[in-house]
Amino acid sequence: MPATDANVRAFTARLAERPCCAALVAHERLDAALSSPVGVIFVLRADGLALRPLVARIHAAGKLVAVHLDLIDGIRADRAGVRWLSRAGADAVISSHGQLMPAIRREGMVAIHRLLLVRRGLLDAALAATAKSGADIVEVLPGVILPDVRALMPSLRVPLLAGGFIRTEEQARAVLASGAIGVTTSAENLWSADLR
Amino acid sequence: MRSLMSVFVASDGRDPVAPPRGLEAGILLRDLDLITLMASAGSIQAPLALDLDSVEGLNPDATAARFVIEELGVDLVVTRRPTVALQAVELGRSALLHVLAFDSTGLARSLEGHPRTPGIGTILSPGPVLDHLLPPDLQRLPRPLVAYGFIDTPGRAVGLLRHADAVVVPPACALEMARRASLDGLDAVAGRG
Repeated sequence: MPATDANVRAFTARLAERPCCAALVAHERLDAALSSPVGVIFVLRADGLALRPLVARIHAAGKLVAVHLDLIDGIRADRAGVRWLSRAGADAVISSHGQLMPAIRREGMVAIHRLLLVRRGLLDAALAATAKSGADIVEVLPGVILPDVRALMPSLRVPLLAGGFIRTEEQARAVLASGAIGVTTSAENLWSADLR
Repeated sequence: MRSLMSVFVASDGRDPVAPPRGLEAGILLRDLDLITLMASAGSIQAPLALDLDSVEGLNPDATAARFVIEELGVDLVVTRRPTVALQAVELGRSALLHVLAFDSTGLARSLEGHPRTPGIGTILSPGPVLDHLLPPDLQRLPRPLVAYGFIDTPGRAVGLLRHADAVVVPPACALEMARRASLDGLDAVAGRG
């Protein structure tokens, strides 16, 4: 089932309701994420070959799941890996591999392309890659410096997420004020924050 | 490790390469090809650093490190490979391990591979993230610590020198820093006077 605008709209609507997303790097925080008001949980680290029960638990809590294809264990970041995540029930897939964005969309999932901020000299190429990839959403890392660099970036055709080193409400608000529609963070104290 | 300059001017080697007058600084060559590197390195009088991973045509391995140190006179090797950093130190020079700080988990993983050997410091990208690291994160970064990337204004450069031993800035920023240093002194601006 190809991704439709409706998938993306549903995903971004969740972000509009609760701009803060829980980023999970370990299972022990899962219960806290499930009981928090976040609308989307980003699974950054997990056993990729045993994802289905995890995704089911998150869905049962009424939340959407985005899975990081490049970081989870046991899954290769290629088209077959994308298909696997689709069968596991992921709603969205995050990757730094722009060439996989069309495959993610074809599987009916929201395609999130990571934009890594290293230095100014590499920014234009990174932006060109995200523009070419056809992603539904771009996630900027480290998101905490988005307010510092936003002026260097043209307006993108797709919504922006930001993640990385966002630990305080003040940082999260600054990032959202810079144009991001949501933040991803492992800082549990932010999961309950009302950032709208 | 020799004492580190507190400012490095980033250069692609294509323009005349020298720090602006009035600013004591080194040069960091990056984003150039091997032929341009060969042509420019010999003419640089300032302390010379090289981002080994960004040289087109050069495989950034230990052989390349030996070549740039022994043939081109590079003083400071910037590399993402711990073995290459160690090679630079064995050859009597210094190295900075390039650590990419995109999130706290990634930073921790990057630092796991740091040799933590005298003579090998850390160059961290993007530089402004240093303003957002917690004290324990900062303490885990092997020194000397250099901030690299997205440091485009003197204010940001000087601000980051609160955390870092050095910053890498583009030529225009270096020029403005030189102008300010001539007025106030860089240390005074940085609050280190």
